[in-house]
Amino acid sequence: MNRSSIVIVALIALIGGFGLSWYAHDSKPVELESGLWFGEQARALPEFELIDHNGQPLTRNSMMGQWSLLFFGFTHCPDICPISLQALADMHKAIDDADVSDAVQIYFVSVDPERDTPEVLAEYVHYFNPTFSGATAPLEALTPLTRSLGIAHAIRNKTEASSDYDVEHSAAIVLINPQAEYAGLFGAPHDPLAMARDMTRIVERHPL
Amino acid sequence: MNIAVKEAVRTAVKTGMPRLALLLALLLPFNAFAELDITQARIKNLPPSVPVRAGYLSIHNPAQFSVSIVSIRSEAFASVEIHRSVMKDGMMSMEPVDRLTIEPGASLQLAPGGLHLMMMHPVEATRPGDDLEIILQLGDGSEQRLMMKVIK
Repeated sequence: MNRSSIVIVALIALIGGFGLSWYAHDSKPVELESGLWFGEQARALPEFELIDHNGQPLTRNSMMGQWSLLFFGFTHCPDICPISLQALADMHKAIDDADVSDAVQIYFVSVDPERDTPEVLAEYVHYFNPTFSGATAPLEALTPLTRSLGIAHAIRNKTEASSDYDVEHSAAIVLINPQAEYAGLFGAPHDPLAMARDMTRIVERHPL
Repeated sequence: MNIAVKEAVRTAVKTGMPRLALLLALLLPFNAFAELDITQARIKNLPPSVPVRAGYLSIHNPAQFSVSIVSIRSEAFASVEIHRSVMKDGMMSMEPVDRLTIEPGASLQLAPGGLHLMMMHPVEATRPGDDLEIILQLGDGSEQRLMMKVIK
């Protein structure tokens, strides 16, 4: 074999190797146990501005450079919301790899902005885990985001006389990737251990 | 009438007068002591700024006849209702349930994600470890008291 053929073989191997690693990294779908991974179908979030539990703005830009899990609910929800937040807290605890759990930020987004002020949200989310964030916004600012995620919500039976009303909402957990794209969805009921394995697989496959 | 007699029977039993208890019990119809076996009675705690809690029960009816729970009250909450979480048009919502009927020998679970007690406006702040009493009003007019444990 002469020198130029060695160079050509080496080049092919190099290109092939890059190609393979690119394929393994980006194209290969992550198989999820407990949800759907959108892969190439991931789509950019619209611009939005919510208010977080500290009263600070939470925008599309805030989601860049981290993995985000969003659950939409309301604090006056006795059954589904505590179950879902407890599942997220249990998931967080079940992730062994600190690099993985540090890369995932969990948000509880209230679709009941009238009752769920930043103060109420802070107390609520920290009851489940001190690293969780809460956020909300007036419905006109919230709905474009929820609509783009396919998350439905509606306030029911609200009267002026009573502060007790129901809010219907999707129980799915939305996954946002570090490019602030809608990357996956975990449907209810949520299995914390399966979600922990899924998030570990996702973050290890796509490190920040 | 039944309730007063049952209370008297209980008092007689507690104060060590079994004969009186037996005598009083004869005043009751044969099914008046139909009581539900209730286990795992628990309330999921939430922070003080949230005025609702969900309560869960595991109910078994050991009797030969069906038993209904028609209403529930508690001195620890302004109101207690029976609710069911349901998926409707892709959204979770809650619907009130008028009564729970447990068939003879059957069991019924009030568990996360389905049937639950909607316990509104705690009179005092609830803390994990607290035991709170609720009173079930049964379909035959009798009552059953039980303690529920507040859990984290």
